[in-house]
Amino acid sequence: MAKIEPVTGHYVHVPFEGEEYRIFYEESGHGIPLVCLHTAGTDSREWRHQLNDPEISERFHVIAFDLPRHGKSIPPKGWWKEEYKLTAKFYADLVVAFCRELGLERPVVMGSSMGGNICLHLAQRYSDYFRALIAIEACDYSPGWWLDWLWHAQIHGGEACATAINGLMAPQSPFEYRQETWWYYSQGGPGIFKGDLYFYSVDHDFREDCEKISGKIPIFFMTGVYDFACTPEMTQKTAKKVRNAECIIMEDIGHFPMSENPVTFKKYLMPVLHKIK
Amino acid sequence: MPAFDVRWVERWQNMVNQDSVARLLGRHFNADVMLEFGPHAYVVSFEHGAIGRVQHEIGPESAYQFALRAPAETWAKFVQPVPPPMYNDIIAMSHTLHGRLKIEGDVKVMWQNLRALAWALDLMRAVKE
Repeated sequence: MAKIEPVTGHYVHVPFEGEEYRIFYEESGHGIPLVCLHTAGTDSREWRHQLNDPEISERFHVIAFDLPRHGKSIPPKGWWKEEYKLTAKFYADLVVAFCRELGLERPVVMGSSMGGNICLHLAQRYSDYFRALIAIEACDYSPGWWLDWLWHAQIHGGEACATAINGLMAPQSPFEYRQETWWYYSQGGPGIFKGDLYFYSVDHDFREDCEKISGKIPIFFMTGVYDFACTPEMTQKTAKKVRNAECIIMEDIGHFPMSENPVTFKKYLMPVLHKIK
Repeated sequence: MPAFDVRWVERWQNMVNQDSVARLLGRHFNADVMLEFGPHAYVVSFEHGAIGRVQHEIGPESAYQFALRAPAETWAKFVQPVPPPMYNDIIAMSHTLHGRLKIEGDVKVMWQNLRALAWALDLMRAVKE
C-alpha cells in the first residue's frame, strides 16, 4: 500500500492590489483554521511536520501557503523590473486577502521569523478578524539582516543564504532536519531572501507601536534559545509591551522550530493550541 | 579551554583534510584566511577545501584575504561539542547584535566560500586536546 500523506496542495487565485496572485497552499485537518507562515526566503515546506500531525489536524484546519515569489507561488507580472522589497503593509494585507479568499472564519495565524514579526502588524490592524496569533521567533525590531551579500552575482545565493541561517538552528536539533531546512533555503529565487529581510530588518520597526495593540486577541510569543537574530530577551522585552500576550521560551531549539526540531517544538506548541478555542 | 596553539591547529588541519565533505563543498575554496584566537594568530591556506599550509609566524608581510578575529574565550565556546547559544556559528558571533567575532578583509571571498568555511570550522569541535 502506498504511503500517502494526508496533505493536499491547491492553487488559489487571490485578487490583490490590482494583481491576481496565483498562490499555492497545502492543507490538512478540520476545525479552526490555522494559517502557517513560512520564514524569509523559503516556502511552506517548512510546515510539513505540523501538516502531518494528527494531534494538530484533529482540531485544526492547518493551511500553509507560499508567499508570491516563494515556492510554487509565482511572482507578479513585471517582477524583473524592480528590486523586491517586502513591506509590512503588503505582507499583512496579503495574508488577510488570502484568508478571506478561502473564506476562513476567524483564523489563527502561526508564523515564524518574519512570519512571527508580521503577527504584530496583524494584531494592530486586524484584531477583529483573527482568533489568535502565534508569533514564533518574533520581536518588535530585528536589525542586521538586509545584506547585499545575500543577493550578489559573484556569490552563490542558494549556498550563501542557506549557510547564513544555518547557525540559527540549535546543535540539539537533529542534523538531518537542520540540513533539510538548509536545503529549503538553498532554493529561494535570486534576491528573495534579501527582499524578505527588508521587511524583517528594515520596514518592521514596531518599537513604538507595541502598546497600540488592543489586546482583543491573544498573542503567544514563542522563541528558541539558540535564536541569535531574535533572542529570548528581545522577545521577552516585546511581549511585556503587548497586551494579552504570553511569552514562551523554548530550550534546545533555534529560529526554525517547526522544521529543525518538530518533536521539541510540539512539546511547546500543543499547550498553546489547547488554549485556542 | 583549548590551547589554540600550533599543535591544536595542526590537529584541526588533519581533521579537515581527512573529511570528504569538506573537500566536496570546498572544491573551489582557495583562500588564505587569518584566524585569530586571542593572542594566537595563523594564516590558514585553503586549497580546494583542504588546508594546505598553516603559517604561525605572523608579521607585517603576512598576507591573507579575510580574517576572523575573536578572543580565545569566544572560540573556546564555539568549539565546545555543544556550543552555547550565540556562540555556535560565525554569523551568530559576528552579528551586529552580538559582535563577539570580527570579520575583516575581502569579505566577499568569505561569502563566496561560506558553506565550505563553516563546515571546516565546525570540525574544530572534533579536535582532541
